Amino acid sequence: MTYIKVTVKQVGNKHKREFRLGPHATIADLLKELGHNRETIVVRCNGKIVVEEERLADGDLIEILPIVTGG
Amino acid sequence: MLKCTFCGRRAAYNRRYAGVLLCDRCLIKSVEKRFRRAIAKYKLLLPGERIAVAVSGGKDSVVAMHLLVEHCKLKNCELVAITIDEGIKGYRDQSMAIVRENAKSLGIEHFVVSFKRIFGATLDQMARRARARKTELNPCTYCGVMRRSLLNQAARELEADKLVTAHNLDDEVQAIMLNYVRADFSRLHRLGPAYSPREGFVPRIKPLREIPEKEVALYALLRGLKVHLAVCPYVGGIHTEIRDFLNQLEANHPNSKFMILRMFDRLKPQLAGIVPEFEMRRCKSCGEPTSAIICKSCELLKGLGLRRLRKTLNSPKSR
Ligand code: SF4
Ligand SMILES: [Zn+2]
Ligand SMILES: [Zn+2]
Repeated sequence: MTYIKVTVKQVGNKHKREFRLGPHATIADLLKELGHNRETIVVRCNGKIVVEEERLADGDLIEILPIVTGG
Repeated sequence: MLKCTFCGRRAAYNRRYAGVLLCDRCLIKSVEKRFRRAIAKYKLLLPGERIAVAVSGGKDSVVAMHLLVEHCKLKNCELVAITIDEGIKGYRDQSMAIVRENAKSLGIEHFVVSFKRIFGATLDQMARRARARKTELNPCTYCGVMRRSLLNQAARELEADKLVTAHNLDDEVQAIMLNYVRADFSRLHRLGPAYSPREGFVPRIKPLREIPEKEVALYALLRGLKVHLAVCPYVGGIHTEIRDFLNQLEANHPNSKFMILRMFDRLKPQLAGIVPEFEMRRCKSCGEPTSAIICKSCELLKGLGLRRLRKTLNSPKSR
């Protein structure tokens, strides 16, 4: 396979989007593409909170949780 | 799969500023340890004290409340929670339900003080008045000044020895930077793990001050705490710009936030002689402590054509 496909969900937003990435892509690569700063979010991969350096696998469900809240 | 540096379980957090990976359990333990260490290092709380915690329902204050419950059990302290209801539609009303739920499940007495009841107007109403009167002040100015004053007053009336606020590392570093940008020397000087007591003020302490915002959030998520994850509709302006700038800096140069904090903490003792000491008196209008003739809250109310309706909060118990 020359690329992998992952589904991205932003928590608090019903939209789901599919992304195609290179075979060695990490969550950090995906975040860069989406324009997210790791300081401001937590990432769940298939339901588990994971570090941004984890490799993505074909079919992963990625949830992005914004944590900078309040006022 | 990436593993925890300490125990080999699956990593949930990359603590880049320390060069370690942490699993869920090790992250939880580490946050609890830092909380205890801050209390011990800065002598924030003493055994047997009566503690009031300011709780908004956001992740930081809910985490503070849960950590304090443990502390109070061990150190024989009493804990009460205070929420200020500013009256922000679609925001505070939701978070209030979350605070009540947490307080109830932890068995903590919970008190609510509302802007509406004390000042005769909600923050939403104040914001509309400010716009109509072209005061050029944004809602955060009213909110910040009045909330601080009511928190202090509530803590004092509840006879608390300390008032805990849940400011995390990010909040504190943002405040340092904001006061630099505004050249606000006296506000800058008041920052720190504890704000030294003066007459009429309950000492304010910040036991989460050395825990990054993301670690507080992870702690709440990994422990499955009920928190309000929403953004205040009034948030914006320079606060947001400074926050974004610091997050960019930290992402590119891990440890920047801690460095800014450490540098400030080293400089702070040197500032003591330079900051003018104000004599504290009582506000002519409401009686709260102030360095001026009337306090900042009363001054802001006056600018909106409002006035304070009640001087005391009269046991502002949650209903
Ligand atoms: S963002 Fe401003 S108005 Fe909203 S809670 Fe914070 S200080 Fe108050
Ligand atoms: Zn571990
Ligand atoms: Zn006053």
